[in-house]
Amino acid sequence: MVAIVFRDLTKTYGKFPAVNNFSAEVKPGRVTGFLGPNGAGKSTALRCLVGLAKPTSGKARILGKRYPQLKNPSTRVGVVLDSRGFHPGLTGYQNLRVLASMAGLGGQRVEEVLAQVELSDARNKRVKGYSLGMKQRLSLAAAILGNPEVLILDEPANGLDPAGIAWLRGFISAQAAAGTTVLVSSHQLAELQNTVDDVIIIDHGQLIAAGTLEDITAGQSLEQAFLRLTQGGVS
Amino acid sequence: MRLVAAEFRKLTYQRAMWGLLIAGVLFAMLGTIATPFIIDQSADGLGFGTLAEVAVVDSVYANAISAYIFSVIVGVLIVAGEFRHGTAVATFVAAPRRGRVLLAKLWVAAIAGLILQVIATAAGFGAGALGMMAFPDAATPSVDIFINTSIGAVVSGAVLGILGAAVGALLRSQILALMSVLIWLFAIEPILLLLVPDQGKYFLSGLITSMVALDVQSEQFNLDTGDFLSPLVSIGFLLAYGAVFSILALISSMRRDIE
Repeated sequence: MVAIVFRDLTKTYGKFPAVNNFSAEVKPGRVTGFLGPNGAGKSTALRCLVGLAKPTSGKARILGKRYPQLKNPSTRVGVVLDSRGFHPGLTGYQNLRVLASMAGLGGQRVEEVLAQVELSDARNKRVKGYSLGMKQRLSLAAAILGNPEVLILDEPANGLDPAGIAWLRGFISAQAAAGTTVLVSSHQLAELQNTVDDVIIIDHGQLIAAGTLEDITAGQSLEQAFLRLTQGGVS
Repeated sequence: MRLVAAEFRKLTYQRAMWGLLIAGVLFAMLGTIATPFIIDQSADGLGFGTLAEVAVVDSVYANAISAYIFSVIVGVLIVAGEFRHGTAVATFVAAPRRGRVLLAKLWVAAIAGLILQVIATAAGFGAGALGMMAFPDAATPSVDIFINTSIGAVVSGAVLGILGAAVGALLRSQILALMSVLIWLFAIEPILLLLVPDQGKYFLSGLITSMVALDVQSEQFNLDTGDFLSPLVSIGFLLAYGAVFSILALISSMRRDIE
């Protein structure tokens, strides 16, 4: 049983293949780093996975199904795709309360996840007044609202200061310790090295390498291995 | 049901929606309270007649329905606002069956548009009565105008809320959607009404005017409601507009990627 499967996934925009015949698997209960240079196709693959973009061909399955086929998906899969996904005029609590309503969850759960991401004090502040780091934490709070068994995090460390990155490391470690499957794309290679069990590397929309962290790095740092495999591509 | 509840929650949390309700109420009140004074100031009552005529007094109260533009705007914001603020991604990740999400939005847009129109129209009636107190010799309005205008408010509020939401789903750009509906209602329809007056009764404003069953003529405004459709037929046409736009919005939402 695998948690996430990409099989021959292709997504083209016009004639440009953003993802090209990409196949990979994510094992359950493990933290998998999803790496690639800018424009490699990471976000497009993740958008296809959660049903926001329709694959041109191939398939993307999560927990054995297409994402839209999951019953009440927020309680199975938590997703962070960007930190812009909140209404700036609503408070952090209100934004989460709307998402909780969609998942059939109550206000108590919203309070719990706000506490978990250390935003309880800012619950009544409008999101337009949040820093980027606070928005990232709010995104993570939204992702764990339904206490999901799979977390998909696209660049969750973007814009975070060192303290924020350290906090994120602790957050992902805690999720992993609880048995949650985590697929995380990030530019913070040094940071990921301390967090992930497995690695998938994508470039020009195609799979470059996949395996355990030890197999991929082969004694090098993750950054060195990444640069070697992507021939110097800048992440 | 969950999606509808979430959409209502989203709606009530947004200050802009309350602002639109207040603006709609003020717009309807201003329209009705000012009309008798404008008619009275004009030598020939703007071509409609004088306040001594029941039909002219009826037309004052019929203006209470004029806040329908705010129902359209609410509808546009309910859908296009999601794309403007980037919340569409979170919404469609939480509820990936897009048809259900859009149906919930169309339903909420209909109810919100209806509520806005009913409140604004009621306020407009009150303001009209206040304005008419300055003209003690004016005719007494017919009972029918209140019944027809109230029914018209319910139908126009719901359908125009749906139309706004559908246009928002089709265009996705909030600015473009708002500009489109405003230009259509305030520029293109009036121009078409001048160019092809016989077809004017099939336009949105013509259908809404038909629903209040006014009996007025004005050469100055190129208006003769005697040629307009009956209230029931106009309701049917408005509902058909709502249905066609809803279907187009559903098809469009199912086929396009969410950005």
